[in-house]
Amino acid sequence: MMTMLGGEPFLLVSKQEQQNYPLYIRSVPSDSELKFHYTVHTSLDVVEEKVSAVGKVIVDQRELYLGLLYPTEDYKVYGYVTNSKVKFVIVVDSSNTSLRDNEIRSMFRKLHNSFTDVMCNPFYNPGDPIQSKVFDSMVSSMMVQTC
Amino acid sequence: MAQCVQSVQEFIQDSFVPMVAVLCSEDADRVTRKNNLNFSELLRPFCRLTSEGHLRDPSNQIQVVKNLKICVSNIVTEPPQQVVTRRLLSEVVSASQPAESSVANVITAGDYDLNISDRSLKASLPWYNSWKETLMELSTSKFYTATTPWFETYRETFLQSMPASDHEFLNHCLACMLVATSHENAPVEQFQKLSQEQHRIQHGSECTYPKWFIPNTLKYYVLLHDMGEGEEQRAESIYEDMKQRYGTQGCYLLKINSRTSVQSSNEQIPDPWSQYLHKSNFQNQEMYDESLTGIVNNMSVENSINAPEADGLDLPAKDAPCKTCNDHPLRLDQTSAHMDGIDALRAPVSDGKKVPSASSTHGACLTLNDHDRIRQFIQEFTFRGLLPHIEKNIRQLNDQVLVISDSYRLLFPKNPWYPPEAPELQIRKMADLCFLVQHYDLAYSCYHTAKKDFLNDQAMLYAAGALEMAAVSAFLQPGAPRPYPAHYMDTAIQTYRDVCKNMVLAERCALLSAEILKSQAKYSEAATLLIKMTSEDSDLRSALLLEQAAHCFINTRSPMVRKFAFHMILAGHRFSKAGQKRHALRCYCQAMQVYRGKGWSLAEDHINFIIGRQSFTLRQPENAVSAFRHILLNDSKQAASQQGAFLREYLYVYKNVSQASAEASLPQLPLPCIQSSATRVFFGHDRRLAEGEKQAASHVSLDQEYDRELSQQWRELEEQVVAIVNRGVLPVTFQPTQYCLNSQTDNMRFPLAVVEEPIIVEVVFRNPLKVSLVLTDLSLLWKFALKEFTLPHGSEASEIVSNEKDVQVKHSLEDLITTEVISEFCMNPEETKVARLKLLPHQTGELHIRGVVYNLGAAPSPGSVFSDGMFVRGRQDLEIQGPRLNSTKEEKTSVRHGPDRRLDPIITPPMPLLEVFFINFPTALLCGEIRKAYVEFANVSKVPLTGLRVVSKRPEFFTFGSHTSALTPLSPGASENCSAYKTVVTGSSSSSSSAVATTLVSPLDFGAGGNGSQPGVVDIPLPDSVLQPGASIQLPMWLRGPDREGVHEINFLFYYESTEKTSKMSHRVLRHTAIICASRSLSVRATACRSNTLPERSMERDGSMLVFVDVENINTNEAGVREFHIVQVSSCSKQWRLHSCINPVGDKDSKLTSRERGKLCFRAIKCRNQEATSNAAGRYTFADINLGNEQIISSTTPCADFFFRRCQTTELKKGFTTGGVSFGQSGSLSDSEGDIASVVRKCSEVDLNIVVLWKAYVVEDNKQLILEGQLHVALQTIGKEACSLSQKEEAQEMVLLKFRPELPPPLVRPSTEQLSHLIKTNLHYPESYDHPFPQKSLCMVPVTLTLSNCSMVDVDVVIDLRHKATSPETLEIHGSFTWLGQTQYKLPLKAQEVHKLQLTACFIHAGVYNLGTHRVFAKIANQDSTCEASQQSSMPALIVVNSI
Repeated sequence: MMTMLGGEPFLLVSKQEQQNYPLYIRSVPSDSELKFHYTVHTSLDVVEEKVSAVGKVIVDQRELYLGLLYPTEDYKVYGYVTNSKVKFVIVVDSSNTSLRDNEIRSMFRKLHNSFTDVMCNPFYNPGDPIQSKVFDSMVSSMMVQTC
Repeated sequence: MAQCVQSVQEFIQDSFVPMVAVLCSEDADRVTRKNNLNFSELLRPFCRLTSEGHLRDPSNQIQVVKNLKICVSNIVTEPPQQVVTRRLLSEVVSASQPAESSVANVITAGDYDLNISDRSLKASLPWYNSWKETLMELSTSKFYTATTPWFETYRETFLQSMPASDHEFLNHCLACMLVATSHENAPVEQFQKLSQEQHRIQHGSECTYPKWFIPNTLKYYVLLHDMGEGEEQRAESIYEDMKQRYGTQGCYLLKINSRTSVQSSNEQIPDPWSQYLHKSNFQNQEMYDESLTGIVNNMSVENSINAPEADGLDLPAKDAPCKTCNDHPLRLDQTSAHMDGIDALRAPVSDGKKVPSASSTHGACLTLNDHDRIRQFIQEFTFRGLLPHIEKNIRQLNDQVLVISDSYRLLFPKNPWYPPEAPELQIRKMADLCFLVQHYDLAYSCYHTAKKDFLNDQAMLYAAGALEMAAVSAFLQPGAPRPYPAHYMDTAIQTYRDVCKNMVLAERCALLSAEILKSQAKYSEAATLLIKMTSEDSDLRSALLLEQAAHCFINTRSPMVRKFAFHMILAGHRFSKAGQKRHALRCYCQAMQVYRGKGWSLAEDHINFIIGRQSFTLRQPENAVSAFRHILLNDSKQAASQQGAFLREYLYVYKNVSQASAEASLPQLPLPCIQSSATRVFFGHDRRLAEGEKQAASHVSLDQEYDRELSQQWRELEEQVVAIVNRGVLPVTFQPTQYCLNSQTDNMRFPLAVVEEPIIVEVVFRNPLKVSLVLTDLSLLWKFALKEFTLPHGSEASEIVSNEKDVQVKHSLEDLITTEVISEFCMNPEETKVARLKLLPHQTGELHIRGVVYNLGAAPSPGSVFSDGMFVRGRQDLEIQGPRLNSTKEEKTSVRHGPDRRLDPIITPPMPLLEVFFINFPTALLCGEIRKAYVEFANVSKVPLTGLRVVSKRPEFFTFGSHTSALTPLSPGASENCSAYKTVVTGSSSSSSSAVATTLVSPLDFGAGGNGSQPGVVDIPLPDSVLQPGASIQLPMWLRGPDREGVHEINFLFYYESTEKTSKMSHRVLRHTAIICASRSLSVRATACRSNTLPERSMERDGSMLVFVDVENINTNEAGVREFHIVQVSSCSKQWRLHSCINPVGDKDSKLTSRERGKLCFRAIKCRNQEATSNAAGRYTFADINLGNEQIISSTTPCADFFFRRCQTTELKKGFTTGGVSFGQSGSLSDSEGDIASVVRKCSEVDLNIVVLWKAYVVEDNKQLILEGQLHVALQTIGKEACSLSQKEEAQEMVLLKFRPELPPPLVRPSTEQLSHLIKTNLHYPESYDHPFPQKSLCMVPVTLTLSNCSMVDVDVVIDLRHKATSPETLEIHGSFTWLGQTQYKLPLKAQEVHKLQLTACFIHAGVYNLGTHRVFAKIANQDSTCEASQQSSMPALIVVNSI
């Protein structure tokens, strides 16, 4: 199994288009970035599974927040899917007990709002990696909060 | 989990089979050895029974036994060593590799198409391509699943090599075969002996192994008869004896070896042993076939890397933490660790013993008949011996269990260790027996009972075993009366692992459970189970299980491809730790399919890196190189240190690869990136740029940026001069000379280069990495075909020479082309840098520049061990795509690119090479300033030069002097302080006198005015018109500051030819751009007026004019320029000349300081000589009126030169702007009207050019300089002011593009303004008239009105005297008078006629009157359409009438 670096809490954000290209990835600490890439990539399977399962039951009022995707010994992976099938994934250190489901949910909502702003930029080409400074700073502030 | 060949039921059945031990006599062993087999091996292929067996269960029900398999093995008294088992497992796994030729297995999972077979490993760089095709074939068959034979082999071997345990009986021996031969002296005694031996092993105290199922083991006596050796009858008789002794069901006569070895080759006998034996006979060291040896050898090396892993099955868990931090699966290993690995590999394993494979044929003495006999024997043994034995034992145990079940439990205390005869064990034993004979109902109930007992007793190991088997038998029950109790399995696994610390048993349990779950489509449960089983103690197991788990993920209902990929990576990592490099590589390759091209660059790089490294250790250097290449090619997001590590590793691998294949051509390198379209090619020699005062022509250099507009200008200039040379026609083959080729130039044709002149190729390199790169020995690669162009047509290409391969021949190549080598070229991180590489051809021919060759190395980083010597030699091709074609429809609809021949120059025979230097060439001039400079032309080639010309868009800027002027090229130094003009000292100014010097000059003398001559092209007067090789010549050159202020860029194009014509290159050109800063000097405005005075002399009657010249000092540089002096005013015209200055000038030359303004007035007259000399047509009369004491002869160089050049350019401009219209006009107008128009126009035309020559006193660096210059004003129309500044250059406005057909030019009529100049009027009267008004109240004054017709046609004139001044104001001032007599006249005036009209004016008061109240209307005779035009009113004609 993967061995995890313990210690600092971290947060990682990723967005996925249909094709599941990464739109934006941020992680703290950055030294084990590769591991988080793998983690997030792998979690997409769970996201897909959940989305397809949810889609069958309730079509109309779909909850965007997918909840805990899967827990491992050292971290928790949460997922969120927008109506346009853009996926947000947050990975947090499982030792971080201050983050409850509600906090995660509001983080996702904030992310979604910010992401909407990015998409509204007429110069943003959907599908390109996000390079918005505003978005960056928003994510940074969110990550600082959780630390 | 991957697909198995067997079904689950088969698999589980085969996992637990009745064990039969074998004891052989020595002789029996000898007999079987003839077949290269021992007895158990001999039987092995036949151990599966094809027919059904039957037995009765305790309740007398008949139980059918189908497809039973038994396991026959020699008695080994030692329990299997774990190390040996471990090695065995490792070997079988590495021996089982995916078949390379197998059909690709493609699984379509969601968006992904995964190729699970090994194909991806074979396909090199575009990993994806090859299997994409196979995918198309296979995508329809959805249920293709992967097979993983290595896993099955592993599992089988693992289960077989399980040590027998006390808590279960499944793999305890049920029976024992005792084998002796018929050839022995006393076979019966031999049997006795063997039987005793068996007894000793089972019941003796010294042997604890093997374990036996039941105390009284079934003994089966086998008499072996070798058909080739003994008599058959003896064997039969012995067998009869045996039957007596042991009963027919307890013994057997087996006849084998019926084939003599002689006939062996004739018959092809299938070898059923081969597939069984290579697995089991590892210890024998006999069966290694060649490939296996290789793998094992490899493995031994590979294992040495992971030394701690190889010897530790029971590696304590305390090691785990340290291990995990070192060998994290996702860790990108730094080079240090890795280099060890490669170094270890570098001492390769060529000493591996290759065991000849000849001994590996089995069953050489057996015929097919013998095979049948063996098969029969097994059947007989099983059905007659084994099954009844089992049946009997089940009954016995059943009875036992029923009897003791209740009482026993009360009697004995609870104990986790049971004696062999304990009733719980008896139940278990009975369950196992039932299980072995496929009586799963009974087995399940027994296991279930046993489980309860064991759990009650807290005998965890026993309980786990019972749970496991209960679950299995529940699953195997036919018709499935109860659901599969998965939780039994989970509990069992957990117990085995956590309580009993027995990983082997836990593993077995997990394997079974996973297989069962998989068969029930519970893939994710199976995967979880398998992943749980991975642990630090065995990498091989972890790897295999992770891989199976990965396969489970893609089999789930919605395939989890990414999980698959991730677990494949983990599996790959464990494989590599376990020394299974091949499997590791395969795993990574399969995972790669998911990660590739999805933007997960970090992961992709990591995988590529591992693939590269594994491929390298597996001696697949091509794969390794391409994988590493991939990391480096992509814009890597890795950290700099990581990139450095990648690069060094790549270099290392590459070096090894290239060393291995030294003979092959140079490999392609991925770094640095070449931006091939940005490549520039420059044809030009090294030029001296400046030498003292000499300043070389700017020409073309690589440092200049390409400017499309500029190059178009140069092209036009060249076309201009070439057209002149070819008598006005541009040759069809004309190709503009291009010295520097880049992406924007026209590269469709092969460029021309000259032999012995260098070719410089500028290559743009980009370093995409965050680490520095060093390129050494950088040079160009080329291909060259020698050709003689001087020979007429017979020049076929000789052989093609190239510097791409032959490294040794390099020296002879130097004679052909000198290739410059850049010894070191450093590139900083992420830098884009250009390298200029030079070639010097020594022969004519066709050159093709192919690419660059260099050594690539990482820049030595401080503290790095691998700084030196890490260089690999390789090449990169320069492939330039031509422009996209877009002319035909086909080209428009498809994407086609034209050729780009930038890099394929043709080397032509020698051509002259000109260098031009400028001496005393100014950078700043006043407008109109004349400066003399020198130009040096030097031929630096070995070929004479001729036909030297220069062309410029601004011919008015310079002159080389006229033909007439004496060519006395003074040295530039001697002329420094002299005037540029030719002067004559006159002593006095000619302003007042009539002694105005006039000269008649033909413009042809100044190279102007000739028909068809392009004004921009100037022949440069070379002596003998040839410049010999090495010769140089200096020529004077006059420059005139441009008329408009500002910075001017003036382009000169020097054209020259070789004296001998070659077909390839007709001419060459040299470019120069002069930059001149012009500052304001004077502004000259001039107006011409008709003088109204009466012509006194007849000859001046019709031609007298006043010219007013208004000169203003508009120089703004007050500090520098003190003052301007108007030195001389000259006229040049075909018809007019200045006659005299009528200025009342006090000082001689009019001086103008800053912002001052002066007016000069001249009288001009018509030239006399026009009529006088007939050949004067087209000639210009120059008349000089000097205001100083020096006359400048304006009709010589340079004054006249510049005058004519200016004329040319203005004509040219006019031609461009109005030429078309004027032609159209003359064509469309009727003759008469056209005539009239021209006549009328002519009437007011003058065509007088005024040249104002000035001197400026300038202070510069405390030195007074005298600058001189000339300004031109062209007077064209009477009364219209003309300016030297030429009014904003005719206001070059942007003309709106109109997409309408152009209207025909409107009928141009002579304007009223023009018509008003037809008649000149003049009043003659006494200026003052005395009249005695008191006496005579009416005063009558005679007035003469002179009318002169200026035009060349008849004009009707109407004179109206009645006209009154319109404004009342004038009435008041002048009073009124009346004309007496006729007040309106109508007169026809002939051409040039002068008519005098006597009038009388009548005054009644004294006063001042204006007589000029008459109005004159003129109309061209016989023209009804035109109305009469009022003529210009003459000046006020004042008369003073005095009263006496």
